[in-house]
Amino acid sequence: MNASAPIPRPPKPLLTVTGLTKHFALKGGLFGQSRGVVRAVDDISFEVGEGETLGIVGESGCGKSTTARLLVDLISPDSGDIQLGGKLVGSELPIRELRRQVQMVFQDSYASLNPRLTMEDAISFGPMVNGMARNAAVRLAHDLLARVGLEPRRFAGRYPHELSGGQRQRVNIARALAFSPKVVVLDEAVSALDKSVEAQVLNLLTDLKAELGLTYVFISHDLNVVRYMSDRVMVMYLGQVAEVGPVDAIYGAPAHPYSRALLAAMPSMDPDRRTMEAPLAGDPPNPINPPPGCRFHTRCRFADAVCSMSDPGLYTMGTPGHLAACHLHIPASGHKAAELAA
Amino acid sequence: MLTYIAKRLIYTLPVALGVSIVCFMLVHIAPGDPLTSVLPPDASAQLQAEMRKIYGFDRPLIVQYGLWALKTLQGDLGVSIATGRPVAAELGKALGNTLMLAVLATFIGFVLGCLFGFVAGYFQNSWLDKLASFVSIIGVSVPHYWLGMVLVIIFSVQLNWLPATGAGPGGSADWAWDWVHVKHLILPAVTMSVIPMGIVARTVRALVADILSQEFITGQRAKGLLDGGVFRHVVKNAAPTALAVMGLQLGYLLGGSILIETVFSWPGTGFLLGQAIFQRDLPLLQGTILVLAMFFVALNLVVDVIQSMLDPRVQRA
Amino acid sequence: MSAAALDSLATIEKSPGYWSGVMRRFRRDPVAMLALAIILGLVLMAIFAPWIAPNDPYRGQMLRRLRPMGTPGFPLGTDELGRDMLTRLIYGARLSLLMGVTPVIIAFFIGSAIGIAAGYVGGWLNTVLMRTVDVFFAFPSVLLAIALSGALGAGIFNGLLSLTIVFVPPIARIAESVTTAVRKIEYVEAARASGASSFTIVRVHVLGNVIGPIFVYATGLISVSLILASGLSFLGLGVKPPEPEWGLMLNTLRNAIYVQPWVAALPGAMIFITSISFNLLSDGLRSAMDLKA
Repeated sequence: MNASAPIPRPPKPLLTVTGLTKHFALKGGLFGQSRGVVRAVDDISFEVGEGETLGIVGESGCGKSTTARLLVDLISPDSGDIQLGGKLVGSELPIRELRRQVQMVFQDSYASLNPRLTMEDAISFGPMVNGMARNAAVRLAHDLLARVGLEPRRFAGRYPHELSGGQRQRVNIARALAFSPKVVVLDEAVSALDKSVEAQVLNLLTDLKAELGLTYVFISHDLNVVRYMSDRVMVMYLGQVAEVGPVDAIYGAPAHPYSRALLAAMPSMDPDRRTMEAPLAGDPPNPINPPPGCRFHTRCRFADAVCSMSDPGLYTMGTPGHLAACHLHIPASGHKAAELAA
Repeated sequence: MLTYIAKRLIYTLPVALGVSIVCFMLVHIAPGDPLTSVLPPDASAQLQAEMRKIYGFDRPLIVQYGLWALKTLQGDLGVSIATGRPVAAELGKALGNTLMLAVLATFIGFVLGCLFGFVAGYFQNSWLDKLASFVSIIGVSVPHYWLGMVLVIIFSVQLNWLPATGAGPGGSADWAWDWVHVKHLILPAVTMSVIPMGIVARTVRALVADILSQEFITGQRAKGLLDGGVFRHVVKNAAPTALAVMGLQLGYLLGGSILIETVFSWPGTGFLLGQAIFQRDLPLLQGTILVLAMFFVALNLVVDVIQSMLDPRVQRA
Repeated sequence: MSAAALDSLATIEKSPGYWSGVMRRFRRDPVAMLALAIILGLVLMAIFAPWIAPNDPYRGQMLRRLRPMGTPGFPLGTDELGRDMLTRLIYGARLSLLMGVTPVIIAFFIGSAIGIAAGYVGGWLNTVLMRTVDVFFAFPSVLLAIALSGALGAGIFNGLLSLTIVFVPPIARIAESVTTAVRKIEYVEAARASGASSFTIVRVHVLGNVIGPIFVYATGLISVSLILASGLSFLGLGVKPPEPEWGLMLNTLRNAIYVQPWVAALPGAMIFITSISFNLLSDGLRSAMDLKA
């Protein structure tokens, strides 16, 4: 670690997640007995600073979406704590309050909207169930429609099937904003949109963040988009955090072999930046029975004996706030390459 | 495959248990004392008390159920009040007659239903389709007991071609596959076949239309496969579902034959049920319902298993 | 922003809703409209029977038994007790419609409640409710109706009760499966994330999306129910003599088929017309709602 470099003060943590775990029991067999557990999210901890955007990346099935659903309490965790603004959710902060302050936008813009409700009704529903009078809620809905770039006069009375994907996603964003939330979790919120529309929605998100002082958790499998949006990035693999750190550190000097492989596979516009490292081979192992030790060792080019035996845990890399879970970078971990480095 | 069959079997057990409980309760939901169903109305109070003990009506319901189920499993369905004979014996004969009628009706209904359904689905939106769809909607809408009456009016009363009622000169005792007997079977079987015909036609039409709209058929046609080849594909893909529908219809007919058997005085289970209702013969009612319902449960199981053998997609559902 | 939004309140472009689209498509379906007209006609006939019917439905004369159609004063003939057939057919619509339609309406509410609760709550409640439903579903419907009313005995109330019990399980099954499907869609999750209570979510987001398919399914059951209800009376269960009811009339006229066959067949024709109209209406609704068969 370089002690002389000025450590940028991390923003005050708004959302603190500690040891969050969610396993799904897999029912089946003759008597509906359990056939195993899917370790969807397995003991993850992270912080999201006030006003920052945390990007979460990883292959499908790595636990990104489960993490998102845990954050807004759509599913309850098996263990682990969530603190919002320093208050422990569930005891110091009621869950209802968490749901108001942390809102979510889903990937499927069409499925996210009730086909029987007009846009006005869809947006005003939340405020109304939270006690706002109908007239005020409708006025708020019109306000928000205008704010996300949809003229209320034209769109308030429309139904979801009459809107384009981009327009629907704007409505979904407006609905999330109706609660004046502190945090918005965007779960693949732009992934299903056309590239040109995606760019517009991303710009809208950036503007809204600046205007309203929002904090984003931005989940996507699109590394380019995550880089564009995020201040910090968290890489997940099979329900665990592989690496987390400032966006420049992750994209500039990825430490975890998995992050490197992911980034190597990322399409680039720069002809000089060709794929140098071998992209990932094969699919992620079954999350029902994750491999012991480091979960990535079955696909890792640098795997050594120690990797299949012990779980490395997150370890601080060169840049402050940059952590990776890889024996390769842990001195005296028992990994041959780590010995050499030491 | 084996797991699926085992799973299906194990799922059937609680359903069969539930069915038996419902049948058991039939006697107890009947208004008045269940004793009235086994005693003459003028029985003395002392006799009533004795009988209550003998029949176990003084014990808790759950114990009564246990004893009843035990007896039933041994094939003892009690004694008919009207005839004084064991219900099981009465049922045996009747069940054979009903099965004969229901199987024949299902067969006719299946053949005609497939024909109408196939024509309708294959020539979608043509006048043939409209006609076949119309016939099938009549099939599911017509009160079959009335249709039976109308057929009797036409073929027995007006034309005098076929007998109106019964199962032959000697009742059902001396059934034989000769014209004297078979002519009694024609009208009830045709009447009964209208129900499965309508439903099979609807199902087959939807199946054929669905299969024809799929890409692999378009591909086959593009490859120059003649209509005969397309036909083979359609049959292969539609057969499992069509057969399953047929199996279930057979079950429905077994249970639902009562109205038609009443119209034609056909000596089957339905006729027996009609008698039981008319004479308030609760043991006979209970036994007949139980046997028919269990038959239906078993048939469901068999249909599911056969369908899963024919169509591997079913197991995943 | 707020002022602009306020201005816009007055001039919002309202899109036609889902149901107005359904109604528009439904109105363009000539077969369904014809079926609806026939059903409305039958309902009006039932309501205004005392004003329309030419004679007393209960009083007959033994001297004029089983007259053919076209007899002066009795255009559709007379029955086995010399009562006017036309009058009794008109009055018959009352009990036949009541016995056929009421069970489906009651079962629609009970079955939907059971199915939506089982589908939305899931877990053990689903298991308990749906396994119970499975038991009743394991009986062929005709058999169950006859078993129940056979045990309960004849009578209008017992008939209605039996038929209601018969139609709850199929409706509950459909309701459960559509609700389970809707519950997994993101807009329900979004509503949960807004902190709404389960009751509110079911009322606003689930009900509107499941009630259409359940309703169409239930309308399809009305024709079955009509045939079954009249069938019960035909067997001597359900409605008791001397009430005019089509199934019961068919039963009492059964022996008259050798004397006046076509007069005896008339009540069944009424059942048939009513049942096919409800079937066509249900088909029309189904395609207007764009549901798969």
